[in-house]
Amino acid sequence: MWYRALPHRTECLGENTGLEVRMGLLTNLKDSISRVTDGLFAADEPKRIGIYGPPNAGKTTLANRIARDWTGDAVGPESHIPHETRRARRKENVEIERNGRKVTIDIVDTPGVTTKVDYKEFLDHDMDKDDAVRRSREATEGVAEAMHWLREDVDGVIYVLDSTTDPFTQVNTMLIGIIESQDLPALILANKTDLPGSDVQQIANAFPQHETIPLSALEGENMDEVYTKIAEYFG
Amino acid sequence: MPHQCTTCGRTFPDGSKEMLSGCPDCGGNKFQFKPAGETSDGQPSPVGEKPSDTDRQSPDADRQSPDADRQSPDADRQPAPIDDGAPDEGDASAADTRDPDSRRPDPKSSGNQTPDARNADSEHVRDRSEEDVAQASARSDVVSPDELDRASRDVEGDSSSTGSGPDASDDPEGPRPDIDDLRDELNEQFESIRIVSPGKYELNLMELYDRQEYIISLQEDGRYVIEMPDAWGISDE
Repeated sequence: MWYRALPHRTECLGENTGLEVRMGLLTNLKDSISRVTDGLFAADEPKRIGIYGPPNAGKTTLANRIARDWTGDAVGPESHIPHETRRARRKENVEIERNGRKVTIDIVDTPGVTTKVDYKEFLDHDMDKDDAVRRSREATEGVAEAMHWLREDVDGVIYVLDSTTDPFTQVNTMLIGIIESQDLPALILANKTDLPGSDVQQIANAFPQHETIPLSALEGENMDEVYTKIAEYFG
Repeated sequence: MPHQCTTCGRTFPDGSKEMLSGCPDCGGNKFQFKPAGETSDGQPSPVGEKPSDTDRQSPDADRQSPDADRQSPDADRQPAPIDDGAPDEGDASAADTRDPDSRRPDPKSSGNQTPDARNADSEHVRDRSEEDVAQASARSDVVSPDELDRASRDVEGDSSSTGSGPDASDDPEGPRPDIDDLRDELNEQFESIRIVSPGKYELNLMELYDRQEYIISLQEDGRYVIEMPDAWGISDE
């Protein structure tokens, strides 16, 4: 299940509609107050953490791992075919307990972000052309949605990278740049450490301004450190 | 009639807006202009009006009639001024100077209208200032002299490369550039996602990120559905 509107934001905007439109100054003042009070209440609300990264980095595998570890449910289907996740999915109220401290987050598993989508890449996965074209279109819509979430709806980012691939890409650079420009707390995860070609150091070198945590979401390796960092960054 | 479609020969009265979006019959977008006094000449198979034209080939005759009416454009083109008393000779020399370029498509095209139409059009457009303002503005909505010259060169290039006459090549290629143009236009408007072809997309991540509205559905014909930002609805209330 995925959501497009934010309950608390909708309520906030709903309050504003009660104000007299012609009193522009007061409206602006009320807006500011709403934002401040919203921020105060938000301290008790779960932080919305977006899981971002390029396609096939293991975002859904990680989201499922986190959700299963702490709620018993999964977030969405995993696949080796790129763009399996074509709509953002949210798992609410995931309570993570670390060192006696509880952190409640909403996990938003987002579609893989890319600058090019081509149906031909799906044809190799036993898919006919019509299905491949449709998947391509949905994947493109998914990227648009992921970018929209990044702009509007996340309080922090877990950026997942496949440690067997080169991290120096336009997409990674751009997304990390956007995240930094928003001052969002970001945790970079070097996934797929169970694979032979894994090179965590390459990712650490690519983004030295951020801490890089190695893990294998599939095998559950180093998840303890991941949860500790989640509590530290997003608590 | 002053305007004649060079593809199908349909004629239009001067100042007609019917032809502004192309010939309604054949979709052609090239017309030759005949002043009101020469309407008898504006037929698909032109016959020279003047006695001196009768011994010429029809392409030259076609071009000649506007030249006979207006000497100044030809005078501009020719290195030496033409004697008013000998318009036919002047036109003949003008035709000679233009022939190397203008005649190239002639043998390849089945008709003999198009090259003449190009010359006639360009000459008449240059003469616009002497004509009725409404008529001139009606034509100016369609094409400028520069565009006309460019189009003429394109037609020449196309005909020489494809080996078929300009008229023949216009028709089959007509619809395709229109669709491509439409797609380009849509893509320009839709800066954040470029539809390269069905199933192939290029995404401008910064544009997607910067957009206030949220694109929720794409269609292959370039249409898309967006979700309006909440703030817009609120401000309208």
